[in-house]
This record gives sequence, structure tokens and C-alpha cells, in this order.
Amino acid sequence: MTAEPKVLRKDQLEVSLHNEKKLIKEGAIKDDNPLDLSEPFRELCNACRKGDLKVCQEKITEGVNINARDPYDYTPLILASLCGHYEVVQLLLESGALCERDTFQGERCLYNALNDRIRNLLLEYDYSKSTDPLQPLAAHITSLLTRETPKTSDIVVTAADESLYLHKFILAARSPYFHSKLEPAPETSTWRLPNTIPPEAFGTAIKYLYFGEAPRDLRSGPGTGFTESEVFAGIDKIAKHLEINTLVDSILDSGDRRLARQRRTMEVAKGRDQLEQWFRANVLKHKVTVETSKADEVKWDRDNAIFADVLLQADELPEDVEAEQVDGADSGFSDPRVPMSTLFPCHRAMLLRSEFFQTMFASSFREAHMKDHLNVINVNCSPDVLEIVLTFLYTERADFPLDIAVDVLFASDMLFIEKLKTKAAIVISTLGSGNMSQAEAARTRGTKEEDDLDIYAIIRAAWLTRVQRLEEFAARYLAYRLEAHIDSPEFAELIQESASRIQSRQETDSIELLDDIRFYLGERFRLRFDDAGIEEMMEDATQPAAGVETNGDVDKVTEGVETMRLSTERSTPGQAASKGAEQAVIRTLDGEIVVDEFDQDALNYQILMDKLDQILENLNLDA
Amino acid sequence: MALRARQKIRAPRRGLTVTKTDDFETNWKDLSTSLRKIHTKDASNLSFEQLYRNSYNIVLMMRGEELYERIKVLEREWLEEEVQKRVTASISPSLLLATHVDVQDQANERREAGERFLAVLKEAWEDHQLCMGMITDVLMYMDRVMSTDHRKPSIYVVVMALFRDHVLRSPIRPDTKTTVYDVLESTVLFMIQLERSGHIIDRPLIRHCIYMLEGLYETITEEESSKLYLTVFEPAFLEASRKFYQAEGRRLLETGDAATFCKSAMDRLSEETERCIDTLSSLTEAKIKDVLDNELIKNNIAEVVKLEGTGARNMLDNDRIDNLRSIYVLSARVDSKKTPLTTAVQKRIVEMGREVNASAIASAAPSKKPEAGEKKPSEKEKPVNLQTVAAIKWVDDILALKAKFDNIWQNAFQCDQVMQSAITSSFSEFINLSQGAADSRSSEYLSLFFDENLKKGIKGKTDSEVDTLLDNGITLLRYIKDKDMFEAYYKKHLSRRLLMKRSVSMDAERQMISKMKMEVGNQFTQRLEAMFKDMTISEDLTSSYKEHVRQSSDPDQKKVELDINVLTSTMWPMEIMSNVRSEDVQLSCIFPKEVESVKQSFEQFYLGKHNGRKLSWQASMGTADIRATFQRSNGKTQRHELNVSTYAMIILLLFNDVPAGESLTYTEIQAQTRIPDHDLIRNLQSLAVAPKTRVLKKDPMSKDVKPTDKFFFNHDFQSPFMKVRIGVVSGSANKVENQDQRKETEKKMSEERGASIEAAIVRIMKQRKTLIHSQLMNEVLTQLSARFVPDVNMIKKRIESLIDREYLERVEEDPPTYGYVA
Repeated sequence: MTAEPKVLRKDQLEVSLHNEKKLIKEGAIKDDNPLDLSEPFRELCNACRKGDLKVCQEKITEGVNINARDPYDYTPLILASLCGHYEVVQLLLESGALCERDTFQGERCLYNALNDRIRNLLLEYDYSKSTDPLQPLAAHITSLLTRETPKTSDIVVTAADESLYLHKFILAARSPYFHSKLEPAPETSTWRLPNTIPPEAFGTAIKYLYFGEAPRDLRSGPGTGFTESEVFAGIDKIAKHLEINTLVDSILDSGDRRLARQRRTMEVAKGRDQLEQWFRANVLKHKVTVETSKADEVKWDRDNAIFADVLLQADELPEDVEAEQVDGADSGFSDPRVPMSTLFPCHRAMLLRSEFFQTMFASSFREAHMKDHLNVINVNCSPDVLEIVLTFLYTERADFPLDIAVDVLFASDMLFIEKLKTKAAIVISTLGSGNMSQAEAARTRGTKEEDDLDIYAIIRAAWLTRVQRLEEFAARYLAYRLEAHIDSPEFAELIQESASRIQSRQETDSIELLDDIRFYLGERFRLRFDDAGIEEMMEDATQPAAGVETNGDVDKVTEGVETMRLSTERSTPGQAASKGAEQAVIRTLDGEIVVDEFDQDALNYQILMDKLDQILENLNLDA
Repeated sequence: MALRARQKIRAPRRGLTVTKTDDFETNWKDLSTSLRKIHTKDASNLSFEQLYRNSYNIVLMMRGEELYERIKVLEREWLEEEVQKRVTASISPSLLLATHVDVQDQANERREAGERFLAVLKEAWEDHQLCMGMITDVLMYMDRVMSTDHRKPSIYVVVMALFRDHVLRSPIRPDTKTTVYDVLESTVLFMIQLERSGHIIDRPLIRHCIYMLEGLYETITEEESSKLYLTVFEPAFLEASRKFYQAEGRRLLETGDAATFCKSAMDRLSEETERCIDTLSSLTEAKIKDVLDNELIKNNIAEVVKLEGTGARNMLDNDRIDNLRSIYVLSARVDSKKTPLTTAVQKRIVEMGREVNASAIASAAPSKKPEAGEKKPSEKEKPVNLQTVAAIKWVDDILALKAKFDNIWQNAFQCDQVMQSAITSSFSEFINLSQGAADSRSSEYLSLFFDENLKKGIKGKTDSEVDTLLDNGITLLRYIKDKDMFEAYYKKHLSRRLLMKRSVSMDAERQMISKMKMEVGNQFTQRLEAMFKDMTISEDLTSSYKEHVRQSSDPDQKKVELDINVLTSTMWPMEIMSNVRSEDVQLSCIFPKEVESVKQSFEQFYLGKHNGRKLSWQASMGTADIRATFQRSNGKTQRHELNVSTYAMIILLLFNDVPAGESLTYTEIQAQTRIPDHDLIRNLQSLAVAPKTRVLKKDPMSKDVKPTDKFFFNHDFQSPFMKVRIGVVSGSANKVENQDQRKETEKKMSEERGASIEAAIVRIMKQRKTLIHSQLMNEVLTQLSARFVPDVNMIKKRIESLIDREYLERVEEDPPTYGYVA
């Protein structure tokens, strides 16, 4: 970092807290961090303290407010950064936790960050750079107003002499007026609003419906033919007409920056909820399941009640069918042996959020042709996954269980939906981490447990979909369970694969996977020593540990760990004796009897490292 | 849900499981068939999703690279087998002929063949682009993986390069080295050649082919600078243009008409701009203009300017504004100083200026003819007037010249600064040019011009006309270097105007002063303003004196009325009025007693008002109105009111005491009046010699006045008017000075300059204390440049003299340095 970011002094923080409290009391601004005493929130806070990624992800998915605070004024983000759990901090930030400079809680996060790595991460996510997680959705819908190719609008709305090319489904979702007018007459292609509405008011209202930001100042006064009050009256009128009550408020309150932002966040969230509601009530409700062979025969009229302009088809795979069969839940009416497909009626305007669909609809291939009946487009994924994809495209929601996450990862990679892909990677790397949280890793040393997930498949998926985060996750996963994997031929095969990938990339002559595993192995054993809480050792350990965090140099880590090992041996005889007396005989991985757990760890580490080298030798690889 | 409850994450179900080669081949087969369909424009029924899935599957099988390579092969084969053949087939033999085709038929044939070829090439390129756009869309996933995992360029880029290598750069026949591109280049250049010689060509067609060259790059990284257009075509085009314009320049010079040259060059410039917009690329515009500038203009402009009979000189003489504008624009393109044009203009201005000078001298020539005659103290009236007229004509001519060039400057030279300063310096040059042996008379001429106009010229003119007139004069003043000289003349002329009340309008006079003040500065007009002040004060004085007389004396007594002008001696050009020739003390003349008493009474009155002042009477500058009674021989009496100079009045009053028929000799008159010889002679001449105003008779009757001549009062004086104005011969009117006067003025001038220089030196030294000689010179020159251009020798002399008088001292010898002595 060249310019050290400024962190406020403690007294300045207190002043800012006081000011903020006062403002909240006066009702001028909304409390970003409301007090939350519920049980799930308490669990989230605990998970943040412990660094339990899995629980964190679960709680976030449950919908716990991650920006709330506990009775001691701690937010999850402060707890995680205070306790130094980098991954948790990252997860919270990615899930929309606020860390804003110039607010008390934001400064407090920075102030309390355990180390520079976390602090820099927090600074990166300062509000000015990160935005409302719903912003991409809002921006997309706003952009529909001006987007020309491919053409997606299906209605022309006119007020006075101004006409706008709009989308029926957005109008219906956002305005009860249009909802009631358009549903009975889906074939409508033009709509006239009363002529008395000033164009400015009309434009503002439509922009509002399309998630646009309220205009800074309304064009009025000389030259426009309308006075300011006329425009306001017009907005009021059109708001009543279209039954959008909050429109006028959204324009009036755009004075204070923070207040405006809060209001905007609320508006967008509300809009999203409306859209989601509509999406669930229409798109999902109208999905149909047919035999795959008959899918092409499904004819949807262009003028359908939910204004869909395309049908997406997802085929169930034989194994799914089997699963359904076993479940016997919703496919009871069809013949289970016949491959089935699900058709989703969709709106191209929303599908455009995927680069795949955007290219498709802009091209001159069959899919882009407009016919009387809706095109049926096959999407190469299962109906469940397609539903998740669609939900994301329409609502920005991406909550799905671990068991489907890899499929979502592949689908979003194929469809070029980066955010969903990241989300899938997050789900896998957090929920899949299982017993990897530091505390538990300490408790369950060496015990062999049943694997929750096929880590080999994950790592290959990570390579295929080019998700760095997932590669790191897998390396870490393997490092923490290396005993279970190191001797299996599959593991050697994986190392071999990783090496061959690198050869084709011609980047470095190291094996990425192996380097990662070594790194996390170092981390694993260092943590073990840390947990023991031996003061002298901590001192020795601090130096190399810093090295790990800043540049991740594998050699240094190894060295660091070795020094630690030596110091352990030197400084623990007394303690070892007492511990040894209490505990039963402790054996290392190769069955040797050692004095205590620390020696065991040290030796185990050495054994694992040797084994890695052994594998390399066997594979004839240099690294 | 039972199965899922196990929380076992499933391996990805697609892609990884299918690694068999036949699956790759199936996918590839589908894909390649479809790609061919795209090429044959049979794509409307293809499904994007299907093709995408094919390529996606292949990439997931980890066979992306293989797919990438196969696409390349497929495209190459398509280009080689289909496109290249189609393109080469369209090349007809006439396109391969040498570049120069003179025969019109052949040109036509070649042109048609060329258009056919270009059309085929254009179509091939556009098809290729379209198809590759579609194919790239389908291969989107492969592209993404290739570029991130394997750092390969996008497939689109690669197939574009294939088009470059396998269509454009393929030989047209296996046995030649000529490539399709070569044909394209020569064809396009040929078309342009056609257009340059006035034919109409299919511009959009060529433009499309150029688009193609702009869309193709030399390198796979596609830097802006590696566009084929820039690397290959543009240099060829520029080279061809260079040759063309070299020849064009020669051809145009041979026609020998500058105007034609300029017009053609201008036309070519706009033609090339248009070509860059419509036919080629706007990237080339600057470069082709460089070629034009260098080859057509820069190499030829000097000669064009000089062209005998049609060049700049001719244009200037005939006010060919349009042509001048073209030639200026062309010059300005290649040279910010426009050297050839400025030189030509300057030369012409100086030439014309010299002509004006010469004609002024010529029209003044009669006075110059006899070298001896000039030396005579009195000059004949007629030549003198002639000279004045010449002076005024000179100013008018120069103003006309100036107006002419101002017009040219504004309309043809676009108010260019460089041209303006060139014109100004040329004007300044010839105006200050010494005419033959004599120094420039411009200061005097100009002052005379003002004098003439202020006396007569502005009569009946509107304010704005007067304003313009004066402004014009002021413009000339700007060019004059020796402004002090002008000041001296102006002062002299002004004093006459004021004292003789010859000015038409005092407003105009004041206006003139304020204009000069703006132009030259405060210091310059200080004395002139003081003169005006004296005049106003004198008016008040006269009226208060009259009041005084009315009150103090007997109203019945017939008194001589007195109008008096009290002049501050330092502000007025006294030397001119007193006509002091010699060093001898001039006794004041004897006034007749009536006048004398008035004079004394005024002196008393004035000195009573202002203590410690000295009044000296300048009789030579005054006038008097006297009533003369002529006893005709037939017994009748005839009265006339005579307006005469003060001296003439004195002389005439003498005859009051002379009995009729008696005479006075010159010597007698002189003894009784003590009028200086010079003035006396002139006054007597005007009274006795001038044919219309012979109030006196002279014996013997001749022009010259000799001491022995006798003068009688002429009772037979005849005049049709009641009031008769008798001017004094020479001296009273403002005229061009004769040689002697000029010498006089110059002597005065140099004395004054000496004083100015000394003052400047002292001022500078007082401030700087010590200064090196050269620096001192510089400072003096800059300080005085607003007033005149000091002579370096004079400055040196002044420094010497200041050292002698111990104002300065020599501080050091090397370099010579002076110190200020406090």
C-alpha cells in the first residue's frame, strides 16, 4: 500500500458516534445497525467469533440481518475482523455487510481489525466502491429503457406526445394499475395515459418503475412549458394514477446524501420484492413439465397472460428422474421412465443479464427470430438449476443448498453469469468446509471422518470453471485432511493433473495445487501451536506468521513452521511431562510413540511433508 | 429428499463423465457442418443453443485447444478453397497492366475490371466478417477459456488474420508473386488517379475496401498502428500522391499563372480532404495534406510569388484579393512566417512608397531646380505653395497606399499578425527613408497635412469624417520614427494657427491633441496643451483688460482696441516667431505713440496682476485692423479697412505724418520703426509689391527692396472689397520650409535632442549608479525610441560632455563603465 489510509483516532470516533446517535434519535437517518436479540443472530455472532464459515453462511442464507448489532454494540463484521477471521470478513462483506468510512460502526471495524490484511480488505469494500448488492439488478432494469438491440419491449406507453418503449411484465410487477389493466388484455401493445400529465412527470414515473434513481432536479421553469409545481402536481397525479405511492417521497427526499442512499436502498429492495413476488406468482407458477420428446410441441401464444416472450427448457437427467421416482413427490402423474423436461416462460429482457442470452438474442440464429409462438430454448442444465438461475436473474437472490451448488457453478459458468458463479463458489467453500473451522480442526485432530463432498470433483470443477477461490478452498480442505488422502492413488492422480495444467499454461514451473496444500498445511499446524497458547512460542511465531499473510511465500512458511517446531521442543519439557502423565500413549501417523500432542503434531507435519515429496518423486515431477 | 439429506455433494454430472473421443467427434461433426452452413448463408435454422452446447461440451472435455485449432483449419480451408478462388477469378488481365495507362479505352476497360474486382473483394470481406461474427458468438465459451487459460487471442482475431494471409496475401496465380493485395492496391491507386484527373469513380466501393484494410492488422495483438491500412496501403498511396503532386507542381508552374496555381492548389486541398472522408480514411487526412504542402506548395510557392506578371506583385497592384487570399492561405500552410510572400509584399510596399516619395519630390521640384535660387532668403510664392501641395499629396498618397494594404491585409491575409508587422515595418521603412541627400521630410509633411486640414480641409465635414481623417494622420504618425521632429513642426504650425486664428474648429484641434496623446503619450502633447491653455487664459485676460480700460478711462476717448495673447515662452516656438537670425540683441521696434500708450497701459495692468513676470512683445506675430482713407485724385475719398500685420500697421501709421506726395526711404522707415530688416523687407514687399495690396507705392518699382527705395502712400489703391487683408509675404502661412529653414530646424532639433539625451542619461545613471557603456547605450535608446531614434555618436558626445561637467565619471576602462557623481 503506497498511501496509508487514514484511521480516525478514538476520540474522533466517539464524537462521530455521538453525532450519529443524535441523528438517529431525531429520526433524520435510519439506524443502519438495529439491535437484534434473536437467537439466530446470536448464533451468527458466535460463528463470527469462532470463524465458523459454515454456520455463517447458513445464517446468512436464513436471512439474519448481518448489519444488526448485539447488546454490546458489536456487529458480525466487527466481531469477525476483531477476531481475525479473514474468510468470514470476506464472506460478510460479499453478503452486503456495511463498512462505511465516516460512520461510527464502519470506523470501528477498521479500528478493531486484527491485522493489516483484514483492514485493507475492509477498506476495499468501503461504500464508495462496493455498492448496494441489488445495484446490478437495478442498473440492468434501468438500462432496459435505453437498450435498443436486441429489442425486448412489448408495449408503447404514451403520455401527451412522449412515447416510451416499455415492458409489460415490469409495468405489471411494479404498478398495480398496469397489473390490473394488462392482465386481462395481454395482447395490448400500446397504452395511452391522460394527456394532462407533463412529460417530465411521466418520464420520472417510468424511470422510477424501472428502478432508476430519482432525478437530481426536475426540468421545469422557463422553456419547458411547465412550472416546478406543475411538474410536482403531475408527478403526484401520475403516482396516484399508476398507484405507486412512494414515488413522490422518493423525489422529495433527495437532499441529504446518506438519507437519499438509505431511501434508495429501501426503494430498490422494495422493487426487488415486487419483482420477486411477481416472478414467483407468474413465471415459476407457469412452468410446465412435459416429456422431453414433446417439449418442442409446446406452443405458447405470444400474447400470454404473463407476457413471456421465450420458453426455456431444462431436461431432467435420468438420475434426477430416479430421484424423483424415489421421492414420488411432484412427478407422480407422469411416466417416470420417460425423460421429462421443464419449460419456464421467461422474459428476454431479464435473460439479457446473462451474456449467453444476450449474444443469442442479438445474433441471427434461430433463437433470435420472432415467431407467432414462443421459441423453446433448451438450456443445458437441470430444471432445479435453471430455476435457481432464473431466480437470480429476476431477483438477484441466490440461495441454494450445497448439494446443487456445483451444478449451479457449471450452469452460471456456461451462461456467463459471473455473480452467480461467485455465489456458488462461496456456497461450496463455506458450507463445504465442514469441520474446517479453526476451533473444530483443533478438536478433531487426525480423526478420520466421513467426507461430505467429493473434493476431487470440486477441484476439477474449479479448474474447469476457472474459480481461483475454489481451488484454494480445495487445497485447504485437502491440507486439513491430508492424512486421509495422501496415500490414495486418486490424490497422486490429482497432483499429476495439476502439474500438467501448469505445463500447458507455461507460467511457472511449480505445481499450484501442491504449493497451496503446503501453504495450508503450514497454517494448520501453526494454528495448532497457537491454540496451545505458549507465550514464548507465540513470540517466535509472530514474525513468520506475518510473512505468510503478506506474501504467502511457501518456503518462508515452511521455515517458520520449522523454527516453531524447534522452539516447541526446547521450551516444553516440563509441560510435556505433566501432560504426558495425564494422557494415554500418543502415537504419530506412522505409529511411533511420542511424548505429547505437540511432538505428535511436529512429527506428523514432517511426515506429511515427506510424503508429498515422495509423491512428487513417484510422479517424476520437479517442484 | 432422503438422498439429498445425506448432504453428499454430487460430482458435476456433465462434461467430466464424457471423455470418449467419439463424443468429441460427434460434437465436432455437428459443429463443423453448421459452420459450413453459416458460410453458405444457410444459418437461419441453426440453433445458437445447439452450437454453443457443442463447443461448450468440447471445451469441458478439456479439448478446447483442439477445437480452436480445428476451427482455424476449417476456416483456412474455406478461405483458400472458396473465397480466394472467387476473388482471384474476378481479377481480369487488364488489372495487371503497368500503372500508367494513357489510352482512354484501356483506362475505361481497366476501370470496369477494377470495379468488378473490388466489388467481389468487398463482398468476400463482408461475408467473412458476418460469418465470423456468428461463429465467434457460438464459440463464445471456447474463446473465454482460451483467452484466460491459454492466453490465446480471440478466434475472431485469428480468422481475420487468416483472411489477411490466405486471401489478401495469396498469389493471384500459382506462378506469380503478385498477390491479391497488390492488385487491390494498384487498382485503388488507379481509381484515385482517375478521380484526380477529373473522372467520377465509385467512391463507396473503394471506401468499403479501405474499411477492410482498416479492419485487418499486421499483428495478432491488433494495435492501432498495425492496421494494414496504415502499414501497407497508406505509404503506397502517399508515395503515389507525392509523385503526382511533384508533376502537378511542375505542370502548374509551367503555365506561368500564379492565380491558376493558387486556385488549383486550393482545389486539390479540398479535393484531398473530401477524398479522405469519402473514399479513404480520415486517418490519412493530415498526412496527405503534408504531402500536398511539401510537394505542391512548399517547393513552388516562392517561385509562384515571384512569377513575372502574375505573381504577388501583380496581385497587389491590381488588388486581386481572392488570389492574394489563396496565395496567403497556401503560404501559411507551409511556413508560419510566409517568407516569400512577406518579402514580396514588403518589397512592393517600399517600391510604391518610394514612388510616392519621388512624386512628392517631383511635384516640389520647381523650387529645387536652381540650386542657387534655393539659397536665397526669399522664395517665390508659387513653388512654395506647390511644395505644400506636394506635401499634402504625399500624405494622401501614403494614406491611400495604407488603405489599400489594410484592405488586403484584412480580406486576403486574414488579419495575420506576421503580415501586419511586416506591412507596418515596410511603411515605417519608406516613410523614414531619407530622400536623396536630404533627410526624410515626412514629419514636416505630415504636420503640414494636419495644418492644411485643420485650416481648410475639415470645413463642412461631419464629425465622423473629421475623426477618420485625423485617425489616418495618426496612423502615419505611428510610422514616423523621429517624433520629436514632428512635434517641433506641429508646434510651429499650431502656434501659427492659434495666433492667426486660422483654425477652423477648436474642437478638432483638441481632438487631434487627445488622439496624439493616446498614440504617443502624455509627454509628447504636454507643450501643445500648454499652448491651448495660454490661448484660453489670454482670452480671459483680454476681456478683463477691456473691462479695466472701460472703467478706468474716459469712455469717449477713441482708444485703440487691444487683443492680447500672453504666451509662455518655454512652451511656444519662440525662435520661429522672433526670427532671430543673428546673435545681436534685437532692440524692440518703436510703436507709434497711440499704440505705445496702449501697450504701456496693458503692461501696467498685467504686471499689476502677475508679479515678477516679464512681458516681451512679439510684434512679428500680431495683426492689426486699421481704417485707411484714400484721397482719390478725382477728389473722392475711399475708405478701406485693412487687416495687416503689426509691422505693416507701424509702417502705415508712419505715413499719417507724411504729407501727401512725400515719400519715405527704406532707411528712414527702418530708423523710425526699428523693425528688423528681414521683417521690414517682407512687410514692405507685401504693402508695395504684391499686386492686389499696393497700399504703398515704391520707387523704383521692382520686386526687391533696397535701402534706397522710396515709398509713397498710394491714394489710388483699388480694391473691390471694403475689408482688405494684406498678408505678409511668406512666413505667416505654414509652408514647406526651404533648405535654410530646414537647417535651422534641424539645428534646433539636434540641440533639443542633445538635451533630451543628457536628461535620459542622467535619469538612468541616477537610478543605476554605475553602468557598463553598452548597457547605458541600450537603455538610452529604449527610453528615447518613443520620441526619436538617437544618433549613437551624439549619445557618446553627450556622455563625454557629462563627464566633463562632472555629472558622470569613468569607473573602469575594460569594459568601459560609468559612475554617477552625486
